Amino acid sequence: MSTETKEPSSRSLMPLGILAAILFASFALVFAPSNQGFDGARGANHSLLSMLGGIAPFALSAVIAYLAPRDVGKGARATIAVIVGFIALFVSRMATESTEGGPESSTLLSWLLGLPIGTGIFILFLPRQSPKLIQGVTLVSMLGTLALSMSLLAAPMGRAFHFNQDIAWIPSFGIRYHVALDGISLWLVILTTFIVPIATYASFGSVTTRMKDWCFSLLLLQGAMIGAFVSLDLFLFYVFWELMLVPMYLMIGVWGGDNRRYAATKFFLYTMVGSVLMLGAILYLAYAYQKLAGVPSFDYFDLQRVMLPQHIQVFLFGAFLLSFVIKVPMFPVHTWLPDAHTEAPTAGSIILAAVMLKLGTYGYLRFNLGLFPEASHWAGANLAGVAVLGGILYGALCAWKQDDIKRLVAYSSVAHLGYVMLGIFAGTRASLEGAVLQMVNHGVSTGALFLLVGVIYDRRHTRMVNAFGGIAKVMPVYTAFFIIATLASIGVPGTNGFVGEFLVITGTVVSKNLGRFGAVQALGAALGVILGALYMLSMVEKVFFGPNDKEENKHLTDINSRELIAIVPLTVMIFVIGLFPNMFVDQIKEATARVQDDMQMRVQLNPPATTEAYGGYYQGAPKLVERRSEATPVAAARSEVK
Amino acid sequence: MNSIFALSPFLILGLGALLFMLAEAFSLSNKGLGIVASVILFATSAFALATSFSGVQLSAVTPWILSDDLSKFFSVLLPFGAALVSLLAGGYLEEHRLNRGEFYTIILFSTFGAMTLAAAGDLLTILLGLETMSLGAYALSAFRRTSQRSVEAGLKYFLLGSFAAAIMLFGFAFLYGVTGHTDLAGIKNEIASAGINGRLVFAFVLIFVGIVFKLSVIPFHMWAPDAYEGAPTPASSLMAATVKAGAFAMAARLLVTVFGDAGFASWGTGWPPVLAWISVITMFVGNLIAGRQDSVKRMLAYSSVVHAGYMLIAFVTVSRAGAAEVSGLFFYLATYTVSTIGAFGALILAGSRGKEAVSYEDLSGLGKRHPAAALAFSFFLLSLAGIPPTAGFMGKWYILRSAINGGFTALAVAGFLASVLGAYYYLRVLQYMYTRDPAPGATVAVPMRSPMVYAALILSAVAVLALGFAPEATFRMAEAAAKSL
Repeated sequence: MSTETKEPSSRSLMPLGILAAILFASFALVFAPSNQGFDGARGANHSLLSMLGGIAPFALSAVIAYLAPRDVGKGARATIAVIVGFIALFVSRMATESTEGGPESSTLLSWLLGLPIGTGIFILFLPRQSPKLIQGVTLVSMLGTLALSMSLLAAPMGRAFHFNQDIAWIPSFGIRYHVALDGISLWLVILTTFIVPIATYASFGSVTTRMKDWCFSLLLLQGAMIGAFVSLDLFLFYVFWELMLVPMYLMIGVWGGDNRRYAATKFFLYTMVGSVLMLGAILYLAYAYQKLAGVPSFDYFDLQRVMLPQHIQVFLFGAFLLSFVIKVPMFPVHTWLPDAHTEAPTAGSIILAAVMLKLGTYGYLRFNLGLFPEASHWAGANLAGVAVLGGILYGALCAWKQDDIKRLVAYSSVAHLGYVMLGIFAGTRASLEGAVLQMVNHGVSTGALFLLVGVIYDRRHTRMVNAFGGIAKVMPVYTAFFIIATLASIGVPGTNGFVGEFLVITGTVVSKNLGRFGAVQALGAALGVILGALYMLSMVEKVFFGPNDKEENKHLTDINSRELIAIVPLTVMIFVIGLFPNMFVDQIKEATARVQDDMQMRVQLNPPATTEAYGGYYQGAPKLVERRSEATPVAAARSEVK
Repeated sequence: MNSIFALSPFLILGLGALLFMLAEAFSLSNKGLGIVASVILFATSAFALATSFSGVQLSAVTPWILSDDLSKFFSVLLPFGAALVSLLAGGYLEEHRLNRGEFYTIILFSTFGAMTLAAAGDLLTILLGLETMSLGAYALSAFRRTSQRSVEAGLKYFLLGSFAAAIMLFGFAFLYGVTGHTDLAGIKNEIASAGINGRLVFAFVLIFVGIVFKLSVIPFHMWAPDAYEGAPTPASSLMAATVKAGAFAMAARLLVTVFGDAGFASWGTGWPPVLAWISVITMFVGNLIAGRQDSVKRMLAYSSVVHAGYMLIAFVTVSRAGAAEVSGLFFYLATYTVSTIGAFGALILAGSRGKEAVSYEDLSGLGKRHPAAALAFSFFLLSLAGIPPTAGFMGKWYILRSAINGGFTALAVAGFLASVLGAYYYLRVLQYMYTRDPAPGATVAVPMRSPMVYAALILSAVAVLALGFAPEATFRMAEAAAKSL
C-alpha cells in the first residue's frame, strides 16, 4: 500500500511502462518455443534458448510486478504478476508440447463441464448472507476449471477426436452421453474457461445484489457452454444448448439496464424459435437413421452417415442454419443482439460476445457442414453474400452510426462474426482455419472491449460517446488498454485480429465454393476492415482525445486494481495470438482439414448438376454412406459391436 | 391370490379411504390429515408399482376391471399425483383455515374414481369411474363455501361436466344399441365384424364430444379457467393433474381400443384429422390466450389446456404409426403431472392467509422475499416450457418424436412453434419474480412456510429431475401400457 505522493511525470509514464511490459512479455515468448519451429537453430543456441524459455515466465512476472502503476496495491500487483507468469508458462508449455501424447483421460471433459455445474448447485446451499464466501467458491471453481482445461493441451490435436467419453444414457432411443474434443472445440473450450473467470472477477466490482443467484447463473452458464462445445450426441448438444438460455436470460433480466425485461425476453424467444426447429430437424434425422440402420441413434458420427435427398436435406439444413445464425447473429435475425448487449451487465456482455455467439459459428461448422455437406455446399455461396453484405458491411455501417459505445461494440461483433461465417462458407483450408482462429480472437478482443466499456460505465453511468472527450488525460492507463483492444479489434498486424481476418480473406479469394464471386466477396471483406478502422478509431478519437471539457470527466479515477487484473490477461493474449498464431493454428488445421475433406468427399460423391441452377445433388431415397475415416476409435469400435 | 395382488392398489385406496373417513370423524385435530391421506396414496402407488414389476399377468380380474399394463401405469401415476396434492392441501388448508377432513376424503375417492376409469373394461365402469372422479372434483372446486367465486366455479364445473357426461352416456346407450355389448372388447369385435353404420357414427360423435370436453381442449375449454381460478389451489392442481390424466386414460381406451380400427382411426376417414385440428387450435389459441392473462392461476389453467393440445398429437400419430405410439402420451402425462403440481404448489407457497398469490403483481420480487418458492416455481415452469434437462422437455421430445416418426412433420413443427409461444408467459412469471420489485405501497402476498408444501415440492422436483435425466424406466412402463391397448 504505497502511500507516497505520485509525481506527475512518473504517472504519465505508466501506460508506456505497461505497454512495454506487455510487448516484452509477448516478445520474450519467442524464446519459449525453442524445441520446435527453429529447425536451423538447433545447435549451440538450443540450450540457451530453452533456458530463456524456462526463465521467461518468472522474468515476466517480475517485470510486470515492477512496472505496474504505483497506486496499485502489493496484493493486486502480485496477482497480476502471477497471472502473467501463468500465461507465459502456458504458452511455453504449449509450444514445446510433445508430439506423441500420453494416455488420455476419458473423464476429463466431464470434469470440465461438471465442475462448474456442480459448484453452481453447491452454491445454492451456501448462506445468502456471506457473499464473500460465495464469490470465493465461484472463483476457486472457475480457476480449477481453467487449470483442468490446460491439461487438454497435452494431447496433440490431429484429425481425430480426443478425450472420448461415450456411455449409454437412454438406451431405448439410442441417446448417449458422448463427449469428445477436436482441434476446433479445443480452443473454444479453453476460451470459455479463460474468459468466464475474468468476467466473473470483474463483475464482483459492479454487481453487488443477489450474489448467490449471480454466481449460480455464471457457473451454470459456463458448464452448459463447455458442454455444448464438446457434445457429440445431438440430443446432449441440444440439452446444453437450451440450458444456456436460462442463466443468460436471468443475467440480462435481473442485473441489466432499464429496458432489461424486453431485451431478455427478446433474446430468449429469438433463440428459442431457432432451437426448437433444430430439435425438430434432429428428431427427423434420428428417425431417418433408425429407419435405415434399424437401431436408434443420436450420435454425430452415426447421423453423419445419413444421406437424404436434396429436397429433405435443405429443410433440415435450414432448421439448423436458422438456429445457428440467430445465435451468431447474422442479418436479418441479428436484432436481438444490440438490445441484449445494451441491457446486459458487463460480465453478461463479455460472456455473450466472447463465448456464446461462438456457439452459433461452431454449431454451423460442426453440424451443418458435418451433417448436411451437400446442402451446405449448395447454399454456401449465397450465404457468403449474406455474410458479407448483411454481416460485415451492414454491421460496420450500423456500428458507425451508433452513439452508445456498447451498442457500437455490439454491432462490431455482428461485423466480426461475419468474417467467421464468411470463412466457413468459403470452405477453403485457410479460410476455415482463419474462421476458427477468428472465433478465439473475437472472444479475446471483444471481451476486452466490453470489459473496458464496463469500466467507464461504472464511473459515469453513461456510455454515450458525446458524454466523453479527452479522458486520456485523466485515465491514461485505461486509455492505453482501450487502444490496444481497439487495434486488436480492427486487426492491426501484430495483434490477434489481423491473423484471423487475413486468413479468412485470403482463403475467400481462392474459394471454389464461392465460384467467380470469391474475389468480390473478399473485396467486400477487405472493405469491412477499412470500415472497422473508421468506426473504431473515430469513436476512440471522440472519447479519449481532444479537449476534456466536461466537468464530470475531469476527476475520473483511472483503472483500479480489480479491473487491471481482469484486463491484463486479455491484453497479453491479444499479443500472444497476434505474434504466434502458428501455435494456435497448428492445433486447428488438422481438424478443419478433416471437416473440409469430409465435405469434399460427399460433394464429389454427389456432384451438383451443371445445367441447373439449383439441385442436381442426391435425389434418391435416403441411404447410409460409409463411416468417415477419421471417426473416433471409440465410435468405430462401438459400431462394430453393433 | 394373484387377483387380490393385482387388485391391491384398488383395495388399499378404497379401504384406506373408508378408514380415513372414520378416523377423521373421530379425530380431534385436523393437523396431520394431509400426511395420512398422502401416505395412503403413496402406498397405493407403491403397490401398483409392485404389481407392475412383479410380472403377474392377469388379462382381466373381471371383465369390468382390467389389470393390464395401462391400468398399472395409471395406478402408479394417479395416486402419486394425488398424494402430492394431499400434501399441498395439508399446508394450504391449514394456512387458509379451511382444514376440514372432507377435502382429503374427496381426494381419495376422486382418485379411486380416476383409477377405476383408467382400469375400466366396460362402458358401465367407465361411467362409474368418470362420475366418481368428477363429482369429487366438483365438490372440491366449491370447497370454499364462503367465497362466491369458489361456489361459482363449482357450479359451472358441475353443470357443464354433467352435461358432457350426459351426452357421453347418450352415446354409450347408442353404442350398446348398435353393438349389443357393453364391454369394450366386445364392442370392438362387433365394430370390426359388422362395419360402420350411421347409428355407430352418431354414437361415436356423442362420445367424442364428451371426451374432448373432459380433456378441456379448445373449443370445449370454457369451463376450465373459471373452475381452476375459483377453486382452492390444491383442488386446481388435482383437476389439472389427476382428473385430466384419468380423462386421458379414458380417451385412450375409447379412441384407441374401441374406435381404433381402420374405419375410425385412419387418417383419411376417421377422427385423427379432427383431433389434429383441435390440437393445433388448442396449442396456438390456448397459448395466445394464456399470454394475455393477468392471473397466474388462470395462466396455469390455460397452460393445462395447451398441454392437453400437445398430448392430442400422440392420438393423431396412432393413425399411421399404430397404437404403440400412444406411449408418448402416457410418458407426457407423467412429466406433466409432476411439473404442474409443482407449479401450483409453488404458487401456494407464494401466498398466505388473507392474501393468496393470484396475479403476476403478487409474485413481484418473490426471488428476494422467498427464494425457495421462486426457485421452485421457476424450475417447474421451465419444465412446463420444455427446457432441458427437465422432465417437461423429455415429454415434449417423446411426443414430437412419435409425430415425426409417424410422418406428421407439419404437426410436429406446429408443436415446436407453439412451445416457443408458451415460453413467453412462463418466462413472464420468472421476470416478475426476479426482475421486479413490488410497487411501493402495494400489499404483497406474504409467502407462507409449510413443511408439507415443502415436502410436496421436493418430491415433485426430484421426480421432475429423475424423469429428465433417467426416463428409461418410465419409458418402458409407458410403452408396455401402450402395447396393452
